[in-house]
Order: sequence, then structure tokens, then C-alpha cells
Amino acid sequence: MRNVWLIAHREYTDRVRTRGFLLTTIMIPVIMAGFVVGSNFLGVKGTTDIRIAVVSSDVQLALDLQDELNRMQDQKEQTQSESDASQNMPSAPARQPRIIVDAIDPGPDTKAELDESLDSGDSDGYLWITPASAPGGRPTFVFTPRSNWDVSIKNTLASALDKVLIREQLTHRGIVAADADTMLQPVQIAAPANPHHDDDKSAEISVSVLFFVMYLVIMLYGMNVARSIIEEKTSRIFEVLLASIRPEAMMAGKIIGVGSVGLTQVGIWLIAALTLAGASVALHLGANVYHVSLTLTQIIFFFIYFILGYLFYASIAAALGAMTNSEQELQQLNMFLVLPLLFCFIMLGTLLTTPDSTLARVLALVPPFTPLLMYFRVSLGHPAVWEIALSLVLTSASICGLIWITSRIYRVGVLMYGKRPSISEIFRWLKYS
Amino acid sequence: MAVVQLDHVRKVYDTKVAVEGLSLAVEAGTMFGLLGPNGSGKTSSIRMMIGITVPDSGSVSLFGKPFARSSLARVGYLPEERGLYKKMNVLDQLIFLGRLHYIPAAVAEKRARVWCEKLQIAEAIPKKTEDLSKGMQQKIQFIGAVLHDPDLIIMDEPFSGLDPVNALMLMDTLLELRSQGRAVLFSTHRMDQVEKLCDNIALIHRGKLVLSGSMGEIKSSYPHNRVHITFEGDDSFLRHPSIESIKRFPGQADIRLHPSPTLADDAQALLARALQHARVTRFEVTEPTLEEIFIEKVRETSPDTNGPNLSPAQLEEPVGSYLDA
Repeated sequence: MRNVWLIAHREYTDRVRTRGFLLTTIMIPVIMAGFVVGSNFLGVKGTTDIRIAVVSSDVQLALDLQDELNRMQDQKEQTQSESDASQNMPSAPARQPRIIVDAIDPGPDTKAELDESLDSGDSDGYLWITPASAPGGRPTFVFTPRSNWDVSIKNTLASALDKVLIREQLTHRGIVAADADTMLQPVQIAAPANPHHDDDKSAEISVSVLFFVMYLVIMLYGMNVARSIIEEKTSRIFEVLLASIRPEAMMAGKIIGVGSVGLTQVGIWLIAALTLAGASVALHLGANVYHVSLTLTQIIFFFIYFILGYLFYASIAAALGAMTNSEQELQQLNMFLVLPLLFCFIMLGTLLTTPDSTLARVLALVPPFTPLLMYFRVSLGHPAVWEIALSLVLTSASICGLIWITSRIYRVGVLMYGKRPSISEIFRWLKYS
Repeated sequence: MAVVQLDHVRKVYDTKVAVEGLSLAVEAGTMFGLLGPNGSGKTSSIRMMIGITVPDSGSVSLFGKPFARSSLARVGYLPEERGLYKKMNVLDQLIFLGRLHYIPAAVAEKRARVWCEKLQIAEAIPKKTEDLSKGMQQKIQFIGAVLHDPDLIIMDEPFSGLDPVNALMLMDTLLELRSQGRAVLFSTHRMDQVEKLCDNIALIHRGKLVLSGSMGEIKSSYPHNRVHITFEGDDSFLRHPSIESIKRFPGQADIRLHPSPTLADDAQALLARALQHARVTRFEVTEPTLEEIFIEKVRETSPDTNGPNLSPAQLEEPVGSYLDA
């Protein structure tokens, strides 16, 4: 145990002192901060209104459309601020871009003029309304946007026009305007915050960010373990070490040392993220978008599953490192490391929508996927206590098994130079040591 | 009591027999040379002594007890393939190596400084290992192996890669360690060093022991049939009938006499003949050198056919170049 600590300690201090560690540890929070501040800056700048020309011989229709658009916009902003209030967050009233309608009578040159204003950027699009040829029929609408890129304008216009036409029909059939308003009022579904299940959007984002961090760090530091074993193989230092300590202790020390560096880094990032979030709330900077919403349980489970996941993949990486002699050879084998992690990544979409589906429940118990997927379920779904316990037991057991296998491969593998072993050779290694 | 003892040790890697029935013992206060051509099983034997690998059969004992890892704290090991952490500074590196052998950091630091002073590399202490010359790195590695005051020092090819000055310094250091009562075992294929340094030797070839014993015993068991002569002038005396074979060098000849009961007289007759023709500045009659014994033994145990390590053609090469290969 003393030797494990000695190796881990050396590995840790050696790595923490490198320029690369300092750079990534500091740069990533700086980039995060830059991203938050920058997107806020852009967000403030980005709320210019949209100008649309409505060409219609029926001026009333154009005015109704303008009214309807205003009404929709007001409602949207109101619900937005209500939901913010329910999440107990101070929120700067976010100004949404408004659609401003200019009513124009069709003339012989109108189309050419409108096209010209589209090109010059004075207008963002025009809607050409041709009145219905037969009474009672619907007018036809042609919308020419400046760019086809913004689909939302077209959708907003369509739903506004729907309402305008329905309102017109209703008044035609003798319904009072106030009644029509009530009938057309959109339905509101209240979603009070559930104290047991904090599944608002921001929690989802925070948990996803942690998921990415876990994925990245496990992959990065797993590869670091493999790389540092190869490095020791090429520098032949391990032979000196093996003369005084067991290969198992060497490997354990290496995994713990490299892992502690990862934990330090994640810890620093997490602290930076939390301070940053705190600061951004204080500054009212984009608090409605980028606020960190993590419970203590989520953070604790994050670290538990992070450590388990790291141990699992680092043992695989240690075996890969012991089997290979160069970085190039490692590249060919690192799919064993990347594929299961990548699979978890692909499953992220499914888990976000249905964290408690049978598929998710089963996969979260499979040891290679447990660290990432179970963490996700714990944070966003409702796994039973026995499921969490079982996942911890299964993963721990498989880590022990894996370390046993890996240390045998390691023991023989570190002394082998030259050609890469075949599968059958590796099995033979497992038999003797 | 033997400090390290191998008893009928056998080690097989897959299909290759690395060591076969090897027995040897090293006593305290002696220096032991483990000799053999490349690939003869020297490194495999050494690795079993320090528990890097375990013998398939036979036994290893350290300090009179069956092998136990706890005994390794009293063993210093210098591997053939030198290895140090490149990015670490020398002092940290030595302290780390010392702590691996259970000595406190402060003691390790003090001893490291003393040793660096002694081996004249004190200026390397604050440097990074990768900035040092190869010879300096080797010295650091050596210090790492002796920092914890081991009673047994095992070195795999300690002289390879050292210039003559540093090789001499290492020899002196080893002799000093021996005089302190420590046991030193090293492997080499440089016979001149073995002849000067070792009390006992073991010669292995293809994993098997072919010759062992004390330096004196081995040498005295061979007849004095080698003549080294340095001369000027006519060399016709070299056709003397008692001569079996000759190696000619400019102004010198290494002569091997026919085996005969009157060997001493043959040598005198040869000297008399030489004096008639040439001016002789040196005339020496000796037993074969260890180098010659080594080659003879290796040739005896290598069947002339299918010898992968030594083909007969290789043996005709100048001895030195083969041995250093």
C-alpha cells in the first residue's frame, strides 16, 4: 500500500507540474467564461425587430394580422417570465424580436419595389395576399422571405393568419369580439416545480454538461494511463521499479496517480463553473439561460460514478498500454476504450427523453455503461434504490476482476518488447505470471 | 551463508528455454561474474534473483532464506536497460528510488549528495535527467541502485556504454563495496574486467552452466601453453615445430603451443630460437586468457550444425569484435 501511494504521489506531482496541465486547467474555465459572456453579448445585440410588408387590397386584414402578432408576442413574453419566476430566478426581461407589419396596397410596381427592399435589407420579407375569388373562400398567401433560413417567421405568420381568419369567420357568424378573444385564448398548462424531481431544462443542461465532462475526462485520462505505461516501457524505468515493488502496486499507483490529476482538474472546473454561475446570476447576465442547477446529491453521484468509470476504463487502458510498445500501436487498439464510451454517448438522446425506460434501466446496469448512464438516470430519472446499489456492486466487482486480469497482462506485458502479442498469447499470459 | 543462491533453476518462455538447471551461489564480500554470449540467459537469471520473474522449477534464496519480496530491500539492482524518469530532476529521482527501498526522504537526499560528489557528478543534481549525458545518466542509475546501502548488488552489464575513465571509476567503486563486505554480482561479456575484478565466475551458454568456480582454480586448471611475444626483426622463428597456431599482429604474436608434457621446455626452446633471429622485448608464457577459455567452452557446447547463437564462421572473427557485438 505504501508503494502504491509512493508511485501515485510521484505520478501526481509529475503531472500536475507540467505546463500542459496548467494550461488545460486554466484555459477551459476561461473559455467557458468567454462563451457565457460572449453569447450574452451577442444575445443582447441579436434582438432586432423583423420588418415584414403585407401586400393586400384588404387593409383591415393587414391590420388584424399586426394586432394578432402583437398579442401572440405579449403572451409569449408573459409565460416566459412566469416560468422564470416559478424557478426562483431573477431574470432580466428578455426582449424577443418583434415582427412589425407594414400594410401596402398592391400597385403595378409593388412587387419590384418589395424585391428591391428585400435586396437592400430594409425588409425581411413580404407576404402577398390575394383575396378569395369567391365569397366565403380563403384568400391565398405567398410569403417571400429574405432568406429561407428563418423558418420560424413563416410559422409565426401562419399561426397568426389562422387566428385572424378564424376571428373573422367568428365575427361573420355574429359572435361578439370579446367572446371571440376568449375562445381563441391559448390553453396554458401549469407545471409547478416538483421538489422530488427537479427536471427543469437547466438541470438537464447541467447534467448533460457533467456527462460530457465525465466522458471526456475518462477518455482523456484513460489514454493518459496507457500512454504513461508505454512511456515507462520505452524508458525502461519499470524494471528498476519491479525490482522493489509488485507490478500490481505499480499499476494501481499509476491509475490512482493519473486519476487524482483528473479529479483535481474536474474539481477545479466545477468550482470555476459554480463561481461563474454565481457571478453570472449576480450580474444578471443571461441568468435565464446559463444557470447551474445541481443538487448536492447530483454532485456526489457524479464523483462516485466518475471514479468508478475512471477505474473501469483506466484498467482497460493499462492493459492496452502493457500490450503495446508505441503510441501508434495504441491508436489501433484504443477502440476498446472509445467504443463503449461512444455507445453511452449515442444513448444520451434516448436517456434524455426517457430516463426510466426498460432499455435505459437495463443498459445502466451493464458495467461498462453504468458510470455514465446510471449517473444520468440518478440525476434525471427515478432509479430504484436497489438499482443504484446493484449498479455500484456490479461495477465494483467488474473493476476488481478487470484489475486482476490487467495486472497479469501488465506483469508479463511490461517485460515484452518487440512485436505485439496475439490474442492467444495474451490468454497464455493470463495463465502464468 | 550464501547471499544469493540459485538451485537448479529453470525458466521457459513459451517455447524458448531461457535457463536450464542453473545453480550458483554468491558469498558476502566477494565479486561474482556472470558470463555468457548474448541471449545465453544472463538477464533471465538475474531477473529471477530479484523476483521480476519466477522460476518454473528450482529455487532462489536470498540471504539464506527462500526468496521473499521483503528481502529485496537489501538488494540493489542495476538493469541492463537503464531507465530513469526523463522529466524528473536528478535529486527528486534519487530520493524517489531511495524511498522505494524504504529509506526516509531526508536520508536519501543526504546519501544522494554524497554519492554524486563521489562519482563527480555533483553539478548534475539540480538538472533534469533528460539534459544529462548518457554516461552521467548511468552514474545516476548506479547511485539509485546503491543508495539504500544494499548488502547485495546485482548489475546487468554495468560497464556497457561507459568510457574508460568512468569504467575505471565504477570498478574502483565496486571493489570498495566488496571490501565493505557486500556481495556484488554482475553480468558482462567483457572478459578483461572479469579477470581483474571477480573472485568467482559462472559461464553460461544457452541457459546452461558450462563453467564455474573461483577465478584462480579455473585458470590453474589450464596449461601454460600461451606465449605472448613482442619483437623486432626476422620472424622465421615462428615456424617452430612446437607452435600449434599463431595470431600475428604488427611486431607481436600470440602463440599457442602444442599440448605436450614438456610444455615448459618447449617454451624455452622457442625463446632461444627467437633470440637467434630477432630482438625480443617481451616474452610471456601464460595459461589461456578467460576470453580464450570462454570461446573454447562456448564452441564445445555449440554443435557445429544449426547453432543459432554461434556459427563456426562467427568464431573465426576476431575475438573482441564478436564479444562486443
